[in-house]
Amino acid sequence: MSKLKVENLDYSIGEKQLLESIDLKIDEGEFVGLIGPNGCGKSTLLKNIYRVCQPDRGVIYLDNENIHSLPGKETAKRMAVMVQENNVEFDMDVLEMVLLGRYAYKKIFADSTDIDKEAARKALLSVGMEDYEERSFLSLSGGEKQRVLIARALAQQAHLIILDEPTNHLDIGYQYQIMRILKEQHITVFSSIHDLNIALHYCDRIILMKDGHIIGGGVPAKALTPQMIRRLFGIEARMGKSRLTGKIQVEYLPD
Amino acid sequence: MHKHSILQNLPIKKRSGYLLFCSVLILLIMGAFIISALVGSVNIRPDWIGKIIVNKTVGRDIFAKAWKDTDESIIWTIRIPRVILAFLVGAGLSLCGILMQALTKNSLADPYVLGISSGASAGAVFVIMYGAFSFAGSYHIMVGATIGAVLSIMLAMKVSAVNNRITSTQLVLAGIAVSALFTALTNFMIYYRQTGSDKVKTALYWMMGSLSGATWDRMFYIASVCAVCTVLIYLFSGSLDVLLLGDDAAVTLGVNIRRIKICIIILCTVLTGAIVSVSGVIGFVGLVIPHITRSFVGSKHSRLIPAAVLLGGLFLILCDAVSRVAVSPSELPLGVVTSFFGAPFFLALIRKNGNTFRGRN
Repeated sequence: MSKLKVENLDYSIGEKQLLESIDLKIDEGEFVGLIGPNGCGKSTLLKNIYRVCQPDRGVIYLDNENIHSLPGKETAKRMAVMVQENNVEFDMDVLEMVLLGRYAYKKIFADSTDIDKEAARKALLSVGMEDYEERSFLSLSGGEKQRVLIARALAQQAHLIILDEPTNHLDIGYQYQIMRILKEQHITVFSSIHDLNIALHYCDRIILMKDGHIIGGGVPAKALTPQMIRRLFGIEARMGKSRLTGKIQVEYLPD
Repeated sequence: MHKHSILQNLPIKKRSGYLLFCSVLILLIMGAFIISALVGSVNIRPDWIGKIIVNKTVGRDIFAKAWKDTDESIIWTIRIPRVILAFLVGAGLSLCGILMQALTKNSLADPYVLGISSGASAGAVFVIMYGAFSFAGSYHIMVGATIGAVLSIMLAMKVSAVNNRITSTQLVLAGIAVSALFTALTNFMIYYRQTGSDKVKTALYWMMGSLSGATWDRMFYIASVCAVCTVLIYLFSGSLDVLLLGDDAAVTLGVNIRRIKICIIILCTVLTGAIVSVSGVIGFVGLVIPHITRSFVGSKHSRLIPAAVLLGGLFLILCDAVSRVAVSPSELPLGVVTSFFGAPFFLALIRKNGNTFRGRN
C-alpha cells in the first residue's frame, strides 16, 4: 500500500523553478533515501511534503488522502518529521522536549497525560537516552540533541517519518547509530542522505535528484553506478564488494 | 554550598516547588501592596489600609473611623487603585513580552523593543494633543493607543515579511525602525504644538510612563482586559511551547502557525494598547520579567504564564513605590525607574546572546 505519493509537483520561488514535475511513491514499510548534490532541491521537496512550503502545482497523498485537506494535527499523527534545529534559544529539559512531539494528541487545557509520558519515555529508550530525561536540552552534545529530536519524532507515533539529513554534522559513529535506530523502528522512512555508503547499507530503495528533477532510482546497489555518481556529483567512483561484510561499497577516486 | 545546590536545582521541576514559588510571590505582593499604599506625602498607619478596604467593600463602618476623611479619600480613591493598576500593568506587560518572544523565538523581544509601545504612545499623544475620538468619551485615549498599536505592529509585520514569511531577525530590526518612526512622530506632535503648554506637559510626562492618573474606572477596565487576555493566552500555552522550536518544527508537530500568529498579534496589540493608554510607555518589563521567571520555572508556558503574571505585578508595584519616594515630594516617571533596571539587563542579555543571537530562516 502506498504510504506517500507525490504527483506532478512543481515549486518555485519568484522566477526560479526549484522543483519540476516530481513524481514519487513510497510504500508502507520501505526505507527510502533521497540522494543528490547540494542545492538539487532535496530539502525543498521534503519541505513541500511536510507542509512548510506550498507547491505551485501537484498533489501530495498521505495514506491516499490529499495532504492539504488534512488538518495539521492529523498530519502530525501520521507523519513525523525530523529536521535540524540549531536555533532553539529557550531551554527545556529532555523529557519536555520529547513531550512536544505529543502536541497533536493534546486536548485543550490538559497537561501531558500518562499515555503521553509513556510514549515519550519509550521513544527515549529506543534512542538510548532514557537516563537523560531531566538534563537540559541545550547542554547536550550534537549527537545527543539529534537523538532527542528523533525520540520526539518517534513519540508522535506516526507510521511515516521524514528526515532531512539526519546525520549531518555527526561523527561516523553517531551517523551509523542513528540510521540503525531508524531501521529498528519498523516504520516507513523517507530521508535525504549525503553519505552513499550509508544509503547502500540501510536503504531499501533510493531516489536520485538533480537540478529539481528526479533522474533515477531503485535498489541502491543497482541504481548507484559509477556513471550515475559522476553525473550527480562530478566525481569518479568505483563500486566493490566489501570483503568483510559482503555488501556493495563506494570507493571514491578523486583526480 | 547551600546556595550552589539551590541554583543547581533551577528551574524548579516539582509541582510542589512551583506552587511554593507562586505562594511566596503572592505573599510578597501582599507585602508590597501595603508598603506601596503607605508611602507618600501623607502619613498613614498600616492598619488603616485593611480597615478602610473592609469598610468600603462592605459599605458600612465596621471599624471605627480613627482617621480623617482626607486620609480615607487618599487611600481609597488614589493609592489603592494605583497599586492594583501597577500590578495589572506589570502583569499585562509581562504577558505581552511572553507572546512576542514566542512569536519571534527571541528572548530579546518585547512590546517596547518591537515598537508597539511607541506606536500606542503616538496614538495616545495624538488624541491628547488634538482631541480626536471625542465620541469615545473618557476612553478616547485608549482608542487612540490601540489604533497606534495596531498601526505599528502592522507596519512591523509588513516590513519584516518576505515571501509571506516573517523571520525573527527581520521582525526585531523592523521593530527598531518602527519604534524610531513613531517616537519621532510623537516628538513632532509635541514640538509642533510649542513647548510649555499644559497639554505638552501631560503628553511628555505620560510618554515616560506614569500611574498618577489611576482611578477605579481605569483599574476595572485594565483588569477586565488583562483577565480575558490571560485566559485566552493560557488556552494557547501548548501551542506557544511548540512555537518556541521554530515555525517549521511547529508545522510538522501539527500547529496551525498562521492562526496562532494572528491570535498572538491581536492579543498583544489589544493588551499593549490598553496598558499604554493608562500608564504610558513603560519599557523593559516584558523583557526582564519573562526572562527571570523562565530561570525559576522553565520555558513551559502553562507554568511560565501564571508565575510571570505574579512576578511582573510585584515588580511594577515596587517600581511604582520607588518612583514616588525617590525624588519626593515630586514623582519620577515610572518608565525611568523600570528602564534603570531593564536597560542594563537588556545589555547583559545581548552580551550573553552574542554568539546565539542570529535569525532563523
